[in-house]
Amino acid sequence: MCLGIPGRIVEIRDDSGLRMGTIDFGGVRRDVCLAYLGDDVEIGDYAIVHVGFAISKVDEEEAQRTFEMLKEMGELEDLEWTGEANSGAGPRGTDAA
Amino acid sequence: MKYLSEYRDGKIARRLAAEIRRTASRRWVLMEVCGGQTHTIVKQGIDELLDGAVEMIHGPGCPVCVTPLEQIDRALHLASQPNVIFTSFGDMLRVPGSHADLFQVRARGGDVRIVYSPLDALALAQRHPDRDVVFFAVGFETTAPANAMAVWRAHQLGVTNFSVLVSHVTVPPAMTAILESSDNRVQGFLAAGHVCTVMGWTEYEPIAARYHVPIVVTGFEPVDILEGMLMAVKQLEEGRGEVENQYVRSVQRDGNRPAQELVAKVFALVDRQWRGIGTIPASGLGLREEFAAHDAERKFGAAEITATEPAECRAGDVLRGKMKPHECPAFGTSCKPEHPLGAPMVSSEGACAAYYNYGRFRGAVTSG
Repeated sequence: MCLGIPGRIVEIRDDSGLRMGTIDFGGVRRDVCLAYLGDDVEIGDYAIVHVGFAISKVDEEEAQRTFEMLKEMGELEDLEWTGEANSGAGPRGTDAA
Repeated sequence: MKYLSEYRDGKIARRLAAEIRRTASRRWVLMEVCGGQTHTIVKQGIDELLDGAVEMIHGPGCPVCVTPLEQIDRALHLASQPNVIFTSFGDMLRVPGSHADLFQVRARGGDVRIVYSPLDALALAQRHPDRDVVFFAVGFETTAPANAMAVWRAHQLGVTNFSVLVSHVTVPPAMTAILESSDNRVQGFLAAGHVCTVMGWTEYEPIAARYHVPIVVTGFEPVDILEGMLMAVKQLEEGRGEVENQYVRSVQRDGNRPAQELVAKVFALVDRQWRGIGTIPASGLGLREEFAAHDAERKFGAAEITATEPAECRAGDVLRGKMKPHECPAFGTSCKPEHPLGAPMVSSEGACAAYYNYGRFRGAVTSG
């Protein structure tokens, strides 16, 4: 439940006052809230992400090593899963229900 | 299944395990309070590498497992309401309530959806102003900032059709409850790395000092866990009871301040019932009064629902370390992952499911 997956910040944007971003996890990209990293955050930084929130920055080498380890251990189901909140219309579409 | 020794870090792991065996002059009893660590320890057979130098007790470290039965029943009630879209992290859907689980409610026509992030649930509410979206806000301190943000944003943006069913728990009061228990056997703790990434470790310092017990903030990888164990064993051998940090690449003493601040704005400490354990004072988080409009229990009158836990499930004994999962009479017979009696058999981070999935049946277990 407290699994955190490291990834690389590839985009930073403002969503009505909330700092959001896109994080790349070994090729899979996800929207992530960056609000808890404070102001000291740049594109290219690596962060540990838990339920869509970056909770700490980590260095690149550590991030890559951890990511490979999680992959090897088969612990990356969270990323494969696309979300049912948008059921019927793909990950970013509008749902039909 | 792949054993630890087959991994890239296998050599380091074996070296650490040998050092633990060499350092321990007796068999020490440690508890991890993190379901992720429990999962890794059992899956990788980490305790079995130690040849009895350390006994691991798998503590109440899985939020799914400790969510009380009545809170599950409330979730089932809310998910059955015709205008409600009930959203949850995936691992809550199979947790048995008194009469059903969320998957069954969904099969009967309830609109139950899995979300990856609480912000996905909020976005769903914004897209469906005519429906009530309820999010099942469970978790430890790691997850609290995410859930706090969803409520804070809903409040800020005036999304009145978004509410949360809160069942948040916090780790330090559970550790204290275990240490206070008259038949406690735990001599040292591995504290959860990501809980401490958010909270830091200052809260653990008075516990370590008062009970003279080592508490080592530990990561999730096999090598992290072995290193955390070694640090705890060294402290025990030297007669020290301090907080130490193994997971330095993610955790700082003060934790993540912005996250703590928002959690404190949205939530207040409340007494919380832990499944199988009972009520622990000030061990949970509940919404502050100013966010009452987003409290699903109040909005739908769900607080009136109460439940009694089935006596056959001995989850409480397992979570407190009184019994190993495979020692339970129901283990593998009337209680299996396909038809669990209690939550520790549901979640992949639950001690019972970990024992079941990785073949630790009575007689097949060599240690731990």
